[in-house]
This record gives sequence, structure tokens and C-alpha cells, in this order.
Amino acid sequence: MAQTNPPFMSGVPELLLLRLLDQREMYGYELVRSVREVTGEAISLGEGVIYPALHALERNGSLKSRRKAVGGRTRVYYSVTSRGQARLGKLADEWRRVRAGVDVALEEPVGAGA
Amino acid sequence: MPAPDFGALEQRLLLAGTAPAVASRMREELEDHYADLVDAGCAEGQSAESARHAAAALLGDLELLVQVAGGRPELKSWAWRWPRLASTVYPVAFVLALPVVPIAAGVAHAPAIFRWAGCALAGALVTAAIFLGLQLAILFS
Repeated sequence: MAQTNPPFMSGVPELLLLRLLDQREMYGYELVRSVREVTGEAISLGEGVIYPALHALERNGSLKSRRKAVGGRTRVYYSVTSRGQARLGKLADEWRRVRAGVDVALEEPVGAGA
Repeated sequence: MPAPDFGALEQRLLLAGTAPAVASRMREELEDHYADLVDAGCAEGQSAESARHAAAALLGDLELLVQVAGGRPELKSWAWRWPRLASTVYPVAFVLALPVVPIAAGVAHAPAIFRWAGCALAGALVTAAIFLGLQLAILFS
């Protein structure tokens, strides 16, 4: 059966969040800024997307959180679990597979395969 | 521009079926996020008022967050995920809780109840003494 990627586009925030959190623990505001920085401002995940994604990843065991008092505020820091690392690997492979497919399609002259 | 109404956001999340723990923590995180945006604006030299204005504009319409969170089944409360189970468990739980609630309230307010009981007992003794005195007065008159 051919591989499909229905959840792929909706998985981009998860991929980026897992990738960033795999490097170090961060809190929501830091993540919003980091996504913008690491993608060269190409992708900007709004708060309306990032917090539901973080909570969903935590609920499915990909992330864990802890409260940490910093500068008089209690922040919620997220970090990746071993399950999250496995999911990151899977999402990264999926991304490379789709990207390679799209690259081929873009380079191929239209109608060449007919 | 006033600060976004994070309390209303939490209520909207709850009405959309989001689990109470998730809604409450999202509210806390967004309040912190807003404060971080205001701090960043002030650090860039903006006045407090314009920093708050810019922060609220950057946060944008929080209804989007309600829609996104509401569209994720894993963030829903268990009563939303299994409504039939909830409609069975909740009535049973409430019936079981009914006799427990007054007892728990009594334990929680034991000193006040003892004071009230002491006053009632003292009142009853005074009343009984008055009646006894009246009765004796009638007998020996």
C-alpha cells in the first residue's frame, strides 16, 4: 500500500516544536520566538496554535512539563520524552520523504511521465 | 487597549469542552505570554501603554486558540469524550455525595458547630429552669 500523508501538514507545528524542545527545554513564549528564528521568519506559529499543540503533545506522552520560578514568574517548561524523540524521528522522516517527492515533481517537466 | 480577558478565554475553553486542567493552565501560560510581550515592548523603549497595546495586538484574536483547542479530541474533558458514561457516573456520584457533604461540612466547621450547640444547650437549660421555677411557683402558691 502506498504511503499517504494526511496528517502531515497539520503535523508541521508538532515537528518544529519537538525539534526545538529536543535541544533544550523551553516555555511557550520562547518557543514562539525560536520557531520564527530557526525558520528564518518563514514560519510563524501563533499562540493560538502553539499552546494547543504543546498540550496535545504532552497528553500523548511526547512532552513533559514542569513549573519553574524565573524572575518572579512561574513558567511552564516543556521537554521531550523518549516517546517524543521517537515521534520526532518519524515526523522528520515523513517530512524528508514528502519534500523529496515534491522536489522531484517540481523539477520534472510537466507531462514528462505521460 | 485593555489587557485581553483571560478569564473569559478560560470560560470559552471550558464551554468548548476542553479539560478544566488544560484550560486553567493555558490561561496561566497566556497571561505569562502576554506579560513577556509587554516586557519585551518596554525593553525596546515603548511606553507601558503602547507595549500593552502591541502585546494585545500580537496575541490577536484568542478565539482562534479556542477553535484549535476545541478541535483536538485529546484536550477534551472525559465528560465530553464519553458523554453517556458521564451522564451515568455523575448522578450516581452526586447521590453518593449527598450524605457525605453535610458530614464533611460539619467536620470542616466543627468549632463553630460546637459553639452553636453549646449556646443552644445553654438556652435550653435556662428555658427549662424558668419553666421549672414557674411550675414550682404554681404548686406552692
